[in-house]
Order: sequence, then C-alpha cells, then structure tokens
Amino acid sequence: MKSKIIKIVLAVIVIAIAYAAYLWFMPHRNIQAVKAFKTIDATELVHEFVTDKEKAYALYLDSDEGESKVLIISGIVAKITKDQLGQYVLLLKKNTEKMGVSCTFTIESNSQVAEILIGDTVKIKGVIRSGAEYDEDLDLIENVIIEKSALITN
Amino acid sequence: MKNLLLAILLISISTTSFGQEKLTTTSGHIKFFSTTPVEDIEANNYKVTSYLTPSTGVLVFSVPMQSFEFPKSTMQKHYNSKKFLNTKKFPKGKFKGTITNLSSINFSEDGTYHATVSGELTIHGVTNNVSEKMTLTIKKGTATGVTSFNITLAEFGVVFTKGKPSKNIAKSVLITANLNYVK
Repeated sequence: MKSKIIKIVLAVIVIAIAYAAYLWFMPHRNIQAVKAFKTIDATELVHEFVTDKEKAYALYLDSDEGESKVLIISGIVAKITKDQLGQYVLLLKKNTEKMGVSCTFTIESNSQVAEILIGDTVKIKGVIRSGAEYDEDLDLIENVIIEKSALITN
Repeated sequence: MKNLLLAILLISISTTSFGQEKLTTTSGHIKFFSTTPVEDIEANNYKVTSYLTPSTGVLVFSVPMQSFEFPKSTMQKHYNSKKFLNTKKFPKGKFKGTITNLSSINFSEDGTYHATVSGELTIHGVTNNVSEKMTLTIKKGTATGVTSFNITLAEFGVVFTKGKPSKNIAKSVLITANLNYVK
C-alpha cells in the first residue's frame, strides 16, 4: 500500500515538472506558419479602423493571449526605414493618404527587402498589433502596426 | 456620406498635425523590467510612436501594447490576458506631457540636456500624473530622449490577489525609454 502511494506521488511530481517545463520552453508562435485570417488591401484595412475602431479591434485583436490575427496585406511601398533593432520597416500607403500600414520585418526576413523600391506593390504577411487612428487628444497620427513580416511572392 | 466624413477628418488631421515643426519617431523603444524571487522578466517594444515639439516642449507617445515581446511565450500570454494588461480592450498606452524646464534646452545647439517631463501616463485605461527626468541628446537636428522610471502596477489597475501570476509578477516595474526623434 505504502509503495503504491509513493508511486502515485512520484507520478504526480513527474507530471507537474513536465507541465512546468512545457510552459517554460513553449516556443513563440511562428507567424509565417499560421494560416492567414484574410488578405486585405492596406487602404481598406486603415479605412476599417478609421470608420469603426471598436469593430475593427474586436475583429483583429485576440483577447485571451495576445495572439492576434495574421494578415496578408497588399499595398504600395511609401517608405523604407529600419527600427532600433535593425529590422526593416515598410510603410504601405498611397501618396494621397495620411495613414498607412507599417510592416516590420525580422532579422531573418530582412534580406527580402533588399531589392524592394519605393513605389513597388507588395504583399506582406504578418501579425497585427494595433490599428490606425488619429488620436485627437495627442494630436497624433498612427499607422496600423504589423510585425513578424515576410514577403509573399506568389 | 461616410466618404465626406472621412474627407473632413483627413483635412482636419492635415491642418492640426503639421502646424508646428515636430521631431517625430515611429520606432521608439520602451523596455520594462521586473524582478521577483522566482524570475526576472524583461520585455521590449520597438514600435513606439512619439513626437516632441521644440517650440512648446510638448512631448507625447503612444505604445501598441501587443508589441511588447517577452523571452518566454508563456510570459507574453499572461501579459496580454484579461487578468493582466488586457491588451485587446486597452490596445494602446499613451503619455501626454510637456518639458517643464524648456528654457534650459537649446534645440539648435548640439549637446546633452537634462529635461524634466511632466504629464499624464495612461496604461490599462487608467491615467496617472507622472513627472520624470529625461536626458535629451541633440545632434545635427535630431534628438534622442532617454528616460528611466518605476511604475506601480496597482496604480494602473493591475492587481493580483491570488493565483500563480501573483507570485511571478513584481508589484513595481522599471520602465526605460529610448526615443529617437528626427525632423
């Protein structure tokens, strides 16, 4: 009887350690391996947030664990910069528009940007972090933020 | 009708946003760090949008809250959840303030200046007044603002009474910002 109890306790301890290890070593979501929620034009995506911010956030952002929608965005490259990590950032918008979609690449996908020029039309897959808006309180224009980006070539 | 409203909105944006010269960034960096007996937690966000108006000293920034990246996936999930920052309901943190010692900063002369910035910081839908020191480095028309300060999570409505996260998350976190402004 005693040895049976010891075996059960040991089994519980092993399961608890395995679960803790699973949580500790759980990898981040591989955005490029996730099926895209939808393909959308950059202008249309901005328009959705400008016209109904609450509805757009409800549609695109995740409420449980921050695993928000993965999108494929098509648009015209208006600006190419690098962030403080050295990751390329492509702003997709038309010349006449004030707001656009800011797509940040990764160190791994950075090389894809080498031959892109301003004015090119591209398709980019990435995860949405926040929407476009004009914040009247701050007097600040904000673009849609997309991260973990990579080019879609087909 | 919708198109007309959008056109009016965009016209008003173009007239209100560019009336005064601003130094701007869309790639500011904010880091937060906390330490507990269980583990240290650090998260980085390189997507901060901010501007600084030299003539008035107005400084604002907006932080997309889901852009904070943690070394561990589980930490990131806890952080975004409804129990913690609830980043779907509160997708952006923001600050609106002014440099209170503007006369001691010469934006047209390269150098390092010590600014005091006071204003309102909003996180998790809760706004508190803050006043912090910022080191401003002016170089060839650009400016880099660096600041570091502590915030108490409970003051922003982030409170744990029980459960695993309460043991793993510190009550106060150190915020460090590096804002790289250009004209």
